[in-house]
Amino acid sequence: MSFPGDDLQPSESIREKVAHMAAGGYLAHTGGRRGATSDLSIDETLVLHSVGWEPVELVCGASSFSIPAGVWLWNQGEITSASYAYAGALARAVASLQGECRAVGGHGIVGVHLEVAVERHLVNAVMVGSAVAPADGSRPSGQPFASDLSGRDFALLHQGGWDPIGLAYGAAFVNAPRRSISVAMRQSSQNVELTNYTEALYAARESAMERMQSMAERLSGQGVVGVRVSEGTVGFARHAIRFAAWGTVIRRSGRPDRLGEPSMVVSLGDESTAFDAASLRGG
Amino acid sequence: MSDTNLPADLPSNLPADLPRDAGKRLAELKNLFTSDLSVNEFLLIKQAGFHPLGLVMGSSIYHTGIQTRKWSKSQELTKLTEAMYNARELAMTRMEEEAEQLDADGIVGVRLDVNYYEWGNDAAEFIAVGTAVKAENGVSHRNKHGKPFTSDLSGQDFWTLMQTGYVPQGLVMGTCVYHIAHRGLVQTLGSVGQNVELPNFTQALYEARELAMTRMQEEAERLGSTGIVGVRLEEKSHQWGSHTIEFLSIGTAVGDTGGAVTLPQPITVISLDN
Repeated sequence: MSFPGDDLQPSESIREKVAHMAAGGYLAHTGGRRGATSDLSIDETLVLHSVGWEPVELVCGASSFSIPAGVWLWNQGEITSASYAYAGALARAVASLQGECRAVGGHGIVGVHLEVAVERHLVNAVMVGSAVAPADGSRPSGQPFASDLSGRDFALLHQGGWDPIGLAYGAAFVNAPRRSISVAMRQSSQNVELTNYTEALYAARESAMERMQSMAERLSGQGVVGVRVSEGTVGFARHAIRFAAWGTVIRRSGRPDRLGEPSMVVSLGDESTAFDAASLRGG
Repeated sequence: MSDTNLPADLPSNLPADLPRDAGKRLAELKNLFTSDLSVNEFLLIKQAGFHPLGLVMGSSIYHTGIQTRKWSKSQELTKLTEAMYNARELAMTRMEEEAEQLDADGIVGVRLDVNYYEWGNDAAEFIAVGTAVKAENGVSHRNKHGKPFTSDLSGQDFWTLMQTGYVPQGLVMGTCVYHIAHRGLVQTLGSVGQNVELPNFTQALYEARELAMTRMQEEAERLGSTGIVGVRLEEKSHQWGSHTIEFLSIGTAVGDTGGAVTLPQPITVISLDN
């Protein structure tokens, strides 16, 4: 079964909306000169400026993808239709996000917030982010990139000689295996590994990660940073294990690394007395 | 798990207890890396002369046995301690095997988690996740057992540590599941209305912590380390009720390479954002 990927087009109505945006739309009153709307903070906008980029417009993408009835019954193996719907919802949401970005003349989207809700009959995906473009007004070449990195991270990568080229994601839903009553009884007082459960979890995780990886490879990326994983059960089908992974694909841009050696600073502000390096991790 | 769709060039040296799916994913990681490092961490790791290879993980779903505890006696519950040890070791070893598969020098940013699922009573998933890295200049940074080092240091900590001539050698941990005795009626009545120390509680907590920390130190000694940094002491009750507590101490064992300290003198700044 092939999974919907980056080749998926947004639906007809979305394309109409995007065409409306491109033709001026609700931006027409600014007299052709757009004022930038973005959910970037002031700091992030300044950092973006320092590397010669600026925000263009707040863009969003959304999609609902249906899940056929009856797929949540407790069977064995992967729940392929659910995995397919998840990938489909995300692919369409990204496609409409990119459509909006192209319409407003952005080169890519940073700070994409991703919200995915899995329900019994459908998967909802909503993405909101800020379209950005170089301040020199050059024309975008090729597909706009989407990235869940903050404006600050984007600027850092840019300085370090890397470019974000897109989002990669993968998800898998797998049925938890059943333990027969006799096995459960036998194991009840022992320290043992439940190997069939371990394998089911591995299957979910590895398929999801593999889908993310092959997506990154289709985008001809050299790495995926900031991978976040979410795992757990599905609320209405507790026997189903859900595993999702997503991150931003990056590639060497060919520009030299201008980051330089970091210098150590000791902040003398009071709030930093309990400084914790772990707080610098993304999330 | 089905064996269909497996590529023919599956690595033959795959350790026996790694599921085949894992080998397939790792075999595909050639020109691409994956990592859960933030951009800050990624750039710092590159700066320290390392390249991320891939996200590695190990996991084990483990069923913990039952041990009877005496209501009024403080004691270590060895069976539960063993379970916590075994399960974590299984997860860690599988993660190291994946790193071995990628020919890594080490694993940074290791997280150890315990998850509980609705469908398994008394069963918990122990999972270890981290990013495998390799030195770009080809110098091996493996520990003295010839295995990739593991460390729960963040990218920032890793960079700073590497500037001081120390190298991480391994994630070391010690655990102890301890049952803390309930207080008898006479004791309880005796301390009503008074400021007194409760020596039985104090002693129990003390002993449990000491046991966990001693075990961690022993692991570090086996690696021939000169110290342990970033030690955390965690207390968890899991699903055993309030009087049975797991004490887990965990940190990164480091060794001195005798290398020069290249850490620049820190600049003091007053941050204006609040």
